[in-house]
Amino acid sequence: MEERGDRTALQCRQYSASCREFSVRCQPVQLRSLSAATCSVWLAAYWLFVLTQNSMVLSTAIFITLIGLIVYLHFVKIDQESLLVIASLGIQMTSSYASGKENTTFIEMSRVKDVVINEAICMQKVIYYLCILLRDPLDPQSVSEVVPLFQSSKPRLNCLVEVYRSCQEILEQRKTVSQTL
Amino acid sequence: MVENSPSPLPERALYGFVLFLAAQFGFMLYLVWAYVPESWLFSLGLTYWPQKYWAVALPVYLLVTIGLAYILLFGINMMSTAPLNSTHTITDNYAKNQQQKKYQEEAIPALRDIPISEVNRMFFLGDGSN
Repeated sequence: MEERGDRTALQCRQYSASCREFSVRCQPVQLRSLSAATCSVWLAAYWLFVLTQNSMVLSTAIFITLIGLIVYLHFVKIDQESLLVIASLGIQMTSSYASGKENTTFIEMSRVKDVVINEAICMQKVIYYLCILLRDPLDPQSVSEVVPLFQSSKPRLNCLVEVYRSCQEILEQRKTVSQTL
Repeated sequence: MVENSPSPLPERALYGFVLFLAAQFGFMLYLVWAYVPESWLFSLGLTYWPQKYWAVALPVYLLVTIGLAYILLFGINMMSTAPLNSTHTITDNYAKNQQQKKYQEEAIPALRDIPISEVNRMFFLGDGSN
């Protein structure tokens, strides 16, 4: 099942009755922003060269641009974020960067209290974001930690509601499993 | 009965008038200090004044502070906003320690902080008639 916002695309895959994966794709690197950044750095370097008449400035500018692009693609630019929910096991979050690197976090199901859509103030506006509420080991009713999901792809509320509904169906299965035990 | 009414008391008018007179006097004193040449003030016998430099410097300091205070207030607001991963976006001490009142038939339910899971179920799953 696929849903397209204006920038992000949500993909839901069901592997079995108790296992689902949700992937949100981010906007790819745009050519105009890349060329704008490169041109501004090179124009600044050329202006410095005109001031100082030192040609090392130009070569350092090229070096900085290349290194900066590699660092950006490897550490900053997230291509796709996915959430894998397995009812009896846990929740796994994966972020894959533009250079191919993947970052994975796993939270086991006994620590998960609920998956909710929370509203919070971010800069000067209120945003909706999906988050996992972690249980406090000392007090089962209180929330010890909040783990926000899809921080870089930032899907809109319609995507979040779809993911929320699917997650709740799976989380209900773990309640019935624990009650039958 | 007059003491229990919320309308302003007569003392408030007195304090207001005293403050008005003091403010006018202070302003006149400031104008005299800023404009009257030092020789005239010395000839009257009043010699212990601050430097006239401060007659211009203090208002400038005040205006710069007011301008910076807008920016500072904006920054303080942004700094004290809870980050997205903090539990303060979901609950706080008052909500954790709230007492549950018993549900009475035919009465309006008591005001309480509803947990976020319940709120989400109501909004997004369309569950429950509560």
